[in-house]
Amino acid sequence: MSIASGSIAVEARGLVKRYGMTQAVDGVTFQVPRGEIFGFLGANGAGKTTTLRMLCGLIRPTAGTALIDGFDIFKQPLEAKARLGYLDEEPFIHPHLTGREFLNFIADLYRMPRGPERQQRMERLLGLFELADRGELIGAYSHGMKQKIGLASLLIREPSVLLLDEPTNGLDPRSARLVKDLLEELAARGTTVLLSTHILEVAQALCRRITIIDRGRLVATGTVDELRAQTGSAQATLEDLFLRLTAGPESRELIDRLLETQR
Amino acid sequence: MSRSAVAIIIRAEIRAWRNRIARGNAARIVGIALVVLFGGIVFGGSLFGIAFAAGGALPSARDAILAGAFTALSVLMLVVGFPTVIASYFAGRDLMQLILAPVRTSEIFIARSLFAMSANILFGTLFLTFIAGLGAGSGASPLYYLLALVLVVVQVLLISALQVNFMAAVLRWVPARLARDVALAVASVTGAGLYLLWNLTIRESFTAIRRRPDFSNLVSTLQRLDWLPSAWPGHALSAVINGDAASALGWTALTLVLAAALLLSAGLLYERTLLAGLGLLGGVPSRVRNRGATQVRVARAGSASPGFAIARKDWIVYRRDIRRLSRFLPALIFLFAYAFVLVRPSNGVDVFWSGVFIVAFVSFFMSMLLATTSIPSERRGFQLLRLAPITSWQLIRTKVLFTVVPVLALTIAITVASSLISGNAPGRAAQVAALAVWLGLGCVCIGVAAGAIDPHFESADDRRMVGMVGTLAAMGAELGFGLLSVGAFAILQLAQQLAAGSGGFGFLPATPLMAALVSVVAVLLAAGGAAVVALMLWTANSRLESFEGSITAA
Repeated sequence: MSIASGSIAVEARGLVKRYGMTQAVDGVTFQVPRGEIFGFLGANGAGKTTTLRMLCGLIRPTAGTALIDGFDIFKQPLEAKARLGYLDEEPFIHPHLTGREFLNFIADLYRMPRGPERQQRMERLLGLFELADRGELIGAYSHGMKQKIGLASLLIREPSVLLLDEPTNGLDPRSARLVKDLLEELAARGTTVLLSTHILEVAQALCRRITIIDRGRLVATGTVDELRAQTGSAQATLEDLFLRLTAGPESRELIDRLLETQR
Repeated sequence: MSRSAVAIIIRAEIRAWRNRIARGNAARIVGIALVVLFGGIVFGGSLFGIAFAAGGALPSARDAILAGAFTALSVLMLVVGFPTVIASYFAGRDLMQLILAPVRTSEIFIARSLFAMSANILFGTLFLTFIAGLGAGSGASPLYYLLALVLVVVQVLLISALQVNFMAAVLRWVPARLARDVALAVASVTGAGLYLLWNLTIRESFTAIRRRPDFSNLVSTLQRLDWLPSAWPGHALSAVINGDAASALGWTALTLVLAAALLLSAGLLYERTLLAGLGLLGGVPSRVRNRGATQVRVARAGSASPGFAIARKDWIVYRRDIRRLSRFLPALIFLFAYAFVLVRPSNGVDVFWSGVFIVAFVSFFMSMLLATTSIPSERRGFQLLRLAPITSWQLIRTKVLFTVVPVLALTIAITVASSLISGNAPGRAAQVAALAVWLGLGCVCIGVAAGAIDPHFESADDRRMVGMVGTLAAMGAELGFGLLSVGAFAILQLAQQLAAGSGGFGFLPATPLMAALVSVVAVLLAAGGAAVVALMLWTANSRLESFEGSITAA
């Protein structure tokens, strides 16, 4: 699938990350067009978080380039970062600030002009995530609430690209649904979302295209139908495709072996 | 089951400790080991030498010295070793697992003792060199050394047990999430007070440099502390030196009984407070009495500044972080006490130079206290700053500007106060104030840079937020910068005298030309000082730009 270069919001070009002898990410290349929700799947330790952190500039790649809206995250970091929002699986927060103070801090950090418009946006987001009446410090929030304030801190500044690492992790069903609806709405308005998740139903429901990473390498990229065609299994669910592409011993076999040892 | 549970826990802790060392940076570990070894030999050797001399020269004061030394050791362990005791017995995250496991609380207490007492054991080991030196200087019998070893071990156990008892008492009255900070604050303030009292007493013994030191005041102060239980082991050892077996046995028995009682009560109280103590893991107050916490305020329109945002956030966080405040206040007590001591005209030192010394001291002290932790204290929030469209240089600049304000305010306030007290002329006081600004700014830059060079973002303890490399870099750079700056300042004073036709030490002609030449030297020295600061800032910027570690929650 060819994409016009001007319409590409996120691009990974041969990203490599080595830690000593360990190859965490090995030549990852993909493009995400503007306004698309792109799923990034992989087993634990496959290299998802390392790739996301290279894309947002937290980790310098051993080789390769990461581009956000055409800006190299390491050569033009200020331009790229101004357009980017990254949510870690454990959000970066300041535990000694209240939710409102934290959002104000983030808005100032990204030079959002102060005034009633910003204030209204902040209150809307706090209301949306049911955090408006929380007077406590973020450090005392539950994991789900921290996730919500992390998301709100991205949305307050309307970045054109969102990199989300397990955004629904720890959220109650209602909040998880809210996040999914919100991402669809944002994508419809032109925001690009790169979504890393273990919840395959979420990926199948939200993402137009999906890429699967296994032991640091991309093993497949495309729509679910394209992945089915690649694996030659027309009726397979995303779960079946994922398990086939990240081949290890079948789970049934593993369970049998475990029970065998317990006998 | 009982023995094996204790053994299993200890074995796991030793394995974790060994893994931490084995997987660390080898060069760094070797460096730290060499520093510790060298420092230990120098420090231990010095203690041995001092005690050896005292044992031979002051036979009548042996009892007071030994009693005072054991008291000093106890205070040191009580204050400095306290965080380790709290972390091991009450606040370690791995305690959760032990509580969930079918292990008795008493077994957890015994198993955690080794690591809980590690800091106290270290102090005790160093202290043994002092005791050995005193014994050697006094010609003590082998029994003295054997008993010394036993009594130091007992003292370590006794103080650790006292700390557990104290923590249990604090947990009874103070909410768990505040208990650690309250306990540490009480211990720190008490330690600071006792240390100052001791230091001022010592100072009285050395009031005139040229005269022979007068120890009578010191000895009488130590004798007034004779009754303290912390002094009992000292009396026992003194009795052994004097060949008084009955007295030695009596004091040793008293010490052992006290230690046994404290250990027993510590074990019992630990069983009751272990679960309450787990609340220490929280660390953040749940609510704030902040009028703006839940209210909607319409913000004034205007442009936003990342620098001001970071400074505003730092100000809010600093006020709310009780742990940092609890360490800042005792340090401030030290600062004012030392400044007061230095302001008092003594030893015939010129009031002007006394003012210069105060300025250098306050700048160094405050920058080490506030500036070094300013970047590491961001903790995980540092990743937010890396994700934001700001450069690391902007971050360093913001941190310097935020820290330099209180440092300069305090330094200049102390300078003005000392000038008023000591009667320094306004012109000369202004020169000292100018030096205060120069030193304050330089030291803060160095402190912030050192924190950025070797940050430990995951550390929950302020004192461990800057690694060994950063701490040594800060101390070395501040020493270099301070010497060059004060040297430049002193040479400028000489230039002034030469220009006025006075001074010259006999070999320098007091002419305007010579004054100009000497001024050039002063400017070169000041430029050298500025270069030290610039080098530190440049290194810090490079280190922050290349930082890519993941920061897990403390």
